[in-house]
Amino acid sequence: MNKDTGHKAHILVIEDNPADVELLRMALRHADLECELTVIDDGADALALVHKHSPGPAADLDLAIIDLNLPKHGGEEILEALRANPALTHLPVAVLTSSSSARDRLGMHRLCVGRYIVKPPDLDAFLKIGFAVKELLSETESSN
Amino acid sequence: MPNIRDMPIKQKVTAIAMAVTAAALLLSGVGYVAADSILFRTSMERDISALAQIVADNSTAALAFLDPNAAMQTLASLKAREHLVAACLYRPAGNIFAQYVRPGGPTRCPAVGLRDETRFTGTDLRVQRPIVLANRRIGTLVLLYSQEEIAARIRLYGATVFGLLLLAGLVAYLLSARLSAVISRPVSQLAQATTSVSETGDYTIRAQRSSGDELGVLADGFNEMLARIERQDAELRNALLAEQVALEEARTARDSLATTLTSIGDAVISTDAKGRVVFANPVAQVLLRLPEAEIVGRDLGDVFRVVNEFTREPVDSPVDKVLREGQIVALANHSILIAGDGTEIPIDDSGAPIRGDDGSVQGTVLVFRDVTVRRRADETRRMLASLVESTEDAIVGSDLNGRINSWNRGAQRMYGYTAEEVVGKPLGILSSPDVVSESLLLLERVKEGESIVQYQTVRQTKQGKRLHVSLTVSPVYDALGRIIGGSAIARDITEQVRFAERLAQLNADLQRSNQRLARTNQDLERFAFIASHDLQEPLRMITAYSQLLIKSYPGEFPAEAKSFVGNIMDGTKRMSDLLTDLRAYTELQAPEDPPVEFVDLNTVVEAVLHDLQPSIAENRAVVTADSLPAIRVHRAHVNSLFQNLISNAIKYHGEDPPRIHISAQQSDGELRFIVTDNGMGIDPAYHRKIFEVFKRLHGKQIPGTGVGLAICQRVAERYGGRIWVESAAGQGATFLFTLPQAASRSVGGTA
Repeated sequence: MNKDTGHKAHILVIEDNPADVELLRMALRHADLECELTVIDDGADALALVHKHSPGPAADLDLAIIDLNLPKHGGEEILEALRANPALTHLPVAVLTSSSSARDRLGMHRLCVGRYIVKPPDLDAFLKIGFAVKELLSETESSN
Repeated sequence: MPNIRDMPIKQKVTAIAMAVTAAALLLSGVGYVAADSILFRTSMERDISALAQIVADNSTAALAFLDPNAAMQTLASLKAREHLVAACLYRPAGNIFAQYVRPGGPTRCPAVGLRDETRFTGTDLRVQRPIVLANRRIGTLVLLYSQEEIAARIRLYGATVFGLLLLAGLVAYLLSARLSAVISRPVSQLAQATTSVSETGDYTIRAQRSSGDELGVLADGFNEMLARIERQDAELRNALLAEQVALEEARTARDSLATTLTSIGDAVISTDAKGRVVFANPVAQVLLRLPEAEIVGRDLGDVFRVVNEFTREPVDSPVDKVLREGQIVALANHSILIAGDGTEIPIDDSGAPIRGDDGSVQGTVLVFRDVTVRRRADETRRMLASLVESTEDAIVGSDLNGRINSWNRGAQRMYGYTAEEVVGKPLGILSSPDVVSESLLLLERVKEGESIVQYQTVRQTKQGKRLHVSLTVSPVYDALGRIIGGSAIARDITEQVRFAERLAQLNADLQRSNQRLARTNQDLERFAFIASHDLQEPLRMITAYSQLLIKSYPGEFPAEAKSFVGNIMDGTKRMSDLLTDLRAYTELQAPEDPPVEFVDLNTVVEAVLHDLQPSIAENRAVVTADSLPAIRVHRAHVNSLFQNLISNAIKYHGEDPPRIHISAQQSDGELRFIVTDNGMGIDPAYHRKIFEVFKRLHGKQIPGTGVGLAICQRVAERYGGRIWVESAAGQGATFLFTLPQAASRSVGGTA
């Protein structure tokens, strides 16, 4: 578990590819989003965290960014556990995945995923993910 | 009044008895009364005469002395006599001296009669006596005595007799009424018997014999007569019956003879002694092709023309021969009858003489029959026999005990035994040792009349070689339809069986390798599916970090390096596109729940056109569509189908701006969708190839992965449809695909 100390938003990142985490950091920076990231790179760890519920590191989460393709436990399973936990039921979630399949997309909609972002191969396109995350955060803030 | 003759006997007897009784009584009564009245008169006459003597004597003195008083006294003493009417004393001169007259009687005395006598007058008895004294007559006495006494006496007797008569009559009636039954009953019984016999005609009825008298004799006689009549009647009846039976028999015999001759299957012609036809039955008329009228009366030779089948020479008329030899003759073989219309009919015939009671030949009878069928049957039999001999199949006959009784050449060839070796041997000799009882089991079924067709089994040849044979076993019948054995036709199918076994082996191998292939294919698909996904990640990394490299160190790379990075990114982009399409393609193979909702294809096309809007605008394409039906499919599937077809049509445009039209038709239980363009068209040589994965007809100048049409084909086939193209180079292309109509809800107009 890696913990960055940020100013505003606390974002849980569940992603096993460090290169993607790096790109994501870059994208968030690119969007001038000051945030604290909690990165979990393993499905089992993620599931354990989600089950543990509050009070814990997840207690003050503002957002979760989840990769669907994880070792041991898939992102979908983690999302289901997350939605089953009352403390996390309403946590805004963005799915960041390389899967563009319609089926995956539909399943995510069912689990109240705010953004379904297919990882773009192009760097510029990837950097724009930061704006999408920022947008999602502001949406949830205004609706709260 | 009924005639006495017609009265019943009983009444007659009663009447007779009463008449006899009445007559007897009447006669005896009358006789008695008559005798009695005569006797009474006589005694009265005597009595009165005596009285007159006494009175005369007593009056003598008075007369003598002319003393009338004394005379009166004497006369008065007669008062006691009730029936004395008058007493008179006369003087000799005839004048009355004294008189006594009973009151109510005559007023005075009658005159003296001439003679002294006693006589009966109409009503009285008159007695006249002389009164004599000393021989001198001194007077006369007359007494009148009334006969009333006699009449009273007769009346009394008459009444008595009448009373007796009545009494006797009554008794006689009662007695005779009772006794007359003795006579009348047997008579009436007899009469009844007679009546019954005459009414019923039943001669077994008998009169009852109730007495031994003449009536009994009469009953006996009657009965005897009845018995005789009965006997004669029975005899008469029997005779009549016998006559009837005989008549009936004669009629039946005649009818049956006539019927026999008419209905007999053979033709019958009879002739007289001169050979002229007198009779021809219907079969003869048919065979001769002549009506009866044209046969009867003619010479047999004129109507019955027979030639030899081979020599065509006329054959001797059998009639001549019969008439000549007087015995039964049969016609030669191979006789052909030439009928009235020229038809030639093979016949068998025979002739026989008809003899009279004296034994002389009076005519002939000729019997012949059409043997066409038999000749044909003979031919057929010969042909069948040669067939049996010449066939490759083994034909083996056996009796009901399973003993071989016929063996054709085919059997010899197949099993290796000669007929001499096997005829009489059991069928089991042919069986393979493992199925040795099989022949007998088959024979049991044949005995039940069953036929066994194409029964496959194993047989063994004389040399011990196993043969696979197909058997057809059937019952063999005799002429009466009884099963007398079985026949088995065996065909050697050893080669076929081996072939079939090899084929089955090959099939099984093929199936196994098919399964292996299917599995491999599945694994491959799965591999491709996963790979297409997983390979995206490293590609993306290469792209992103290549870009990052240039971006992070601005000014540190020469322009050439930037161009290299650009090439890396182009390559990865292309590979990424390929992997994306490959993934979409392999995904279509994955099992999925059948679609439940109807998808309106109009909205699908709308969405596709929306996605393709930039490309449409860029190429100034015009896309039109008819109204499309709603079908039960997965929206994503038909979406990619239309997406690929429309984008292809735009991409491979000709010189003119692309014009694309989408329509749907209903035909033969399926829906046909048509996407027509005016593009560059496709050479027919590639019409199949273009649907294969990664197959492309164009170079890099037109981008593409070569998966789009393969995806289209997969979608169409997934729903039981198919896809194909109709096009020629430079002529535009028409892509057509079908989907089963069962999935559709409605088809819009095709305008």
